[in-house]
Amino acid sequence: MRTWRWISVFAVLALVLVACGQQGISQPAEESDPPPAESGDAEPTDDGSMDGEPQSGGTLVFGGAALAASLDPALTSDGESFRILQQIYEPLVDLVPGTVDELEGVLAESWTGEPEGTEYVFTLKEGVTFHDGTPFNAEAVKVNFDRWQNFAEEFQGNAYYYGAVMDGFGADNLIESVEATDELTVTITLRDPSPTFLYGIALTPFSIVSPAVLEATNADDPTASTLGTETVQGGTGPFVMEEYIPDDSAVLARNEDYHGEHTAYLDRLIIRPISDPAARLQALQGGSIQGFDLIAPGDRSAVDGVDGFQLVNRSSYNTLYLGVNPTATDDSPLQDLAVRQAVAHAIDREALIEAFYGGGGSPADIFLPPTSGWFDSVGEGAEVYEFDPGAAQTLLEDAGFGADNPPTVNFWYPTEVTRPYMPDPRGLHEAVTTMLEDAGFTVETGSAIWGTEYIPAAQAGTYDLWFLGWTGDYDDPSNWYGVHFGFAQGEPAAAFACDPEGLEAAIDEAEATLEEGARGAAWSEVAQLVHNEVCFVTLVHGDTAIALTEEVRGYVANPTGSESFVDVWLSGE
Amino acid sequence: MTKFIIRRLLLLIPILLGLTLLIFVFTRLLPGDPATTILGERATPENMAIVREALGLDRPLHEQYLQYMGGLLQGDLGRSFITNRDVVDDFLQRFPATIELSVAAILFAIAVGIPLGMYTAKRRGTWVDSAGTVVSLIGISIPIFFLGLMLKWLFAIQFPILPDSGRIDLVDYYVPRVTNFMTVDALLAGEPGGVIDALRHLVLPALALGTIPLAVIMRITRASVVDVLNEDYVRTAHAKGLRESVVDGRHILRNALLPVVTVIGLQTGLLLGGAILTETIFTWGGVGRWIYDAVTARDYQIIQSGVLMLALIFVLVNLVVDISYGFLNPRIRHS
Repeated sequence: MRTWRWISVFAVLALVLVACGQQGISQPAEESDPPPAESGDAEPTDDGSMDGEPQSGGTLVFGGAALAASLDPALTSDGESFRILQQIYEPLVDLVPGTVDELEGVLAESWTGEPEGTEYVFTLKEGVTFHDGTPFNAEAVKVNFDRWQNFAEEFQGNAYYYGAVMDGFGADNLIESVEATDELTVTITLRDPSPTFLYGIALTPFSIVSPAVLEATNADDPTASTLGTETVQGGTGPFVMEEYIPDDSAVLARNEDYHGEHTAYLDRLIIRPISDPAARLQALQGGSIQGFDLIAPGDRSAVDGVDGFQLVNRSSYNTLYLGVNPTATDDSPLQDLAVRQAVAHAIDREALIEAFYGGGGSPADIFLPPTSGWFDSVGEGAEVYEFDPGAAQTLLEDAGFGADNPPTVNFWYPTEVTRPYMPDPRGLHEAVTTMLEDAGFTVETGSAIWGTEYIPAAQAGTYDLWFLGWTGDYDDPSNWYGVHFGFAQGEPAAAFACDPEGLEAAIDEAEATLEEGARGAAWSEVAQLVHNEVCFVTLVHGDTAIALTEEVRGYVANPTGSESFVDVWLSGE
Repeated sequence: MTKFIIRRLLLLIPILLGLTLLIFVFTRLLPGDPATTILGERATPENMAIVREALGLDRPLHEQYLQYMGGLLQGDLGRSFITNRDVVDDFLQRFPATIELSVAAILFAIAVGIPLGMYTAKRRGTWVDSAGTVVSLIGISIPIFFLGLMLKWLFAIQFPILPDSGRIDLVDYYVPRVTNFMTVDALLAGEPGGVIDALRHLVLPALALGTIPLAVIMRITRASVVDVLNEDYVRTAHAKGLRESVVDGRHILRNALLPVVTVIGLQTGLLLGGAILTETIFTWGGVGRWIYDAVTARDYQIIQSGVLMLALIFVLVNLVVDISYGFLNPRIRHS
């Protein structure tokens, strides 16, 4: 009998617990926070986001795939880290929201300097203070630039963007000098002209950190630095870091002294890491978060047009491509240009977009997405391969292949990963394999784990055909074609072994061409060589989307995924 | 008893030393390294060489091992290759979440498993017993990820009476982390509502995680009680006219408990090692997911030191179980 008593007690306790909590089920903001200020009418806009008179107050819980890899902005290079850190830290300049090629001042009031020149003079905003109370000035900028340039070797691995933008570290890199000319003027002198310098320093890793915090956290000492791990008040952004619990949450609170047009509307912004996209959707539906990024294309219908939710589409700034390496295997049929062209004609990109991107994407005619300011000038003259299985078969026949002796290629895809440009690697691989087989290829398929096996093997030039993609860091063709097809010591990138005559010289020429019109034409030369030789087949620019509850307003999606929450507010409806 | 404990603790030294070597070798046998994780799409051979050099991965393996052991002997378990966070700090930040979840799961398993095992044993051969066997088999066989997702779908989305994930409602309750035990921190923050909310967040993951231990405990209890029921002293107790509850508690359960305690100890040790699937489904930031992520990212330092700390805890939990035998049954003496 006692047994039953125990069970009864346990059951009653469980019921009480559930009942007690009924009133505490995760609430939309209006139930937890009294709606401050008067409410304005909110109407859906064309892009699905809502508009209206912003109100202050409330807490927004947003689901990311992960928290920050480091809390030291200079040591991060991934979007999840940027999402958190760019709310706290700010660079001198940033992209105008919604664009990829327009810059605006953030900590800099204005600047002078041209891509053809080597001197940039920044006039800084007056009256800005770091979250710790330290005044922001020219000396603070110099301290940060000097720190990055002199990073200890142990830091250099994680400081990817500094190395990439400034051509390495140390006294011989792109930066010749950084001078605090006066309290609010910084002069940065480059060793050589760099058309990407300004776009580079708009990235989150170039955010300025309070010198006092740098010193207090031993930020220059790889074995003792706590800047990347502790909750510190070193930024100038619209939010301050209140608490950071790895794998649990990043709690940001409004910076009441923010120097921008207005302080953040939200009292608090909490980022929760939820690695699984399906779990993020469930958390939104269950009410424990009010928004999340990178909704799986297949899940869009669960949010889009559904009462209580909204979907904010983000134009893509990425490209999925099929890497084509003619030297990966001996006697590869891909050594014949006609066979490579047959691969390009065999793939129905519209069908891929419909099946795997929920219709949210566009066929990638060239590597650069249409959102790029360089799209038209660089794309000029590059060969576009339309879906044409008949043409593919004819090309194979011309190359001496047929039903009796089909060309055999190996084709690989990564596992344990999804990317905005590659939402379902396995599904995409199956579809493209079928398309290639329909065109007359014999395909040997393979898969490997993304970070640990696939990437190194692909980069080493092991695979005939393979999926990979790219999300632009900043809007310059060098960040697309240059990064992928650049030569090192006279050798082409092993991943593609792309070495048509004149490519190396064309890339050197394009890198050195600074005037905008001429630069577009120079990179167009590169694009023509690469596309016409079918060094890769660009497939899809995949749009992404943010899922939000209806009450979230003011979220502006950026193609780069770099988004501030300063204008986000809760409607209280 | 003291000698026994000291001997067991001394035995830990060669065990842990052997473990360090094993884990070191196994992690280095895995394909890839942290450089590829850090760089992602940007992992060109040149970039990877820079990162490997920065992380010291370009040095010979024996040098890397000796450097790790050197740090270990000085109490330095190292820093994550990916985040540069101190491994011990990371562990201590996550372990309370794992303890909280494990304790809730094991309490649920004990509270339901032992009475059910006892109940079915006393009705062996009846339909109740058969039903109990079937239920426990289902409990052992059901995949946790399926059970977790179903529980979540049912009780958090279809009939939203419990939270779907996380450890507390972050909108309603802002609880500064002091101990990282959410229930305790909510109490310290003067948020009684937060304590209840934290307990509510524990329910679904604890049910998902506790189901297998529940089934195991129930089966062992049943088998053990069935053995004891046939003993002479139980018959004698009944013949003396003792109350049923006294016979059950003092004569049957106490004597049947020894194997059950062993199983509870083992299960607790396993749960403390982290529950990757449950932690993933319910977004519970514990050590299981932490180690899993480290393995995926080839974060050698976390794998080496994290697994070492978990192994130490597992051995210590087992030691506690062994010691508890002496209290449960005074006839058992360790010498």
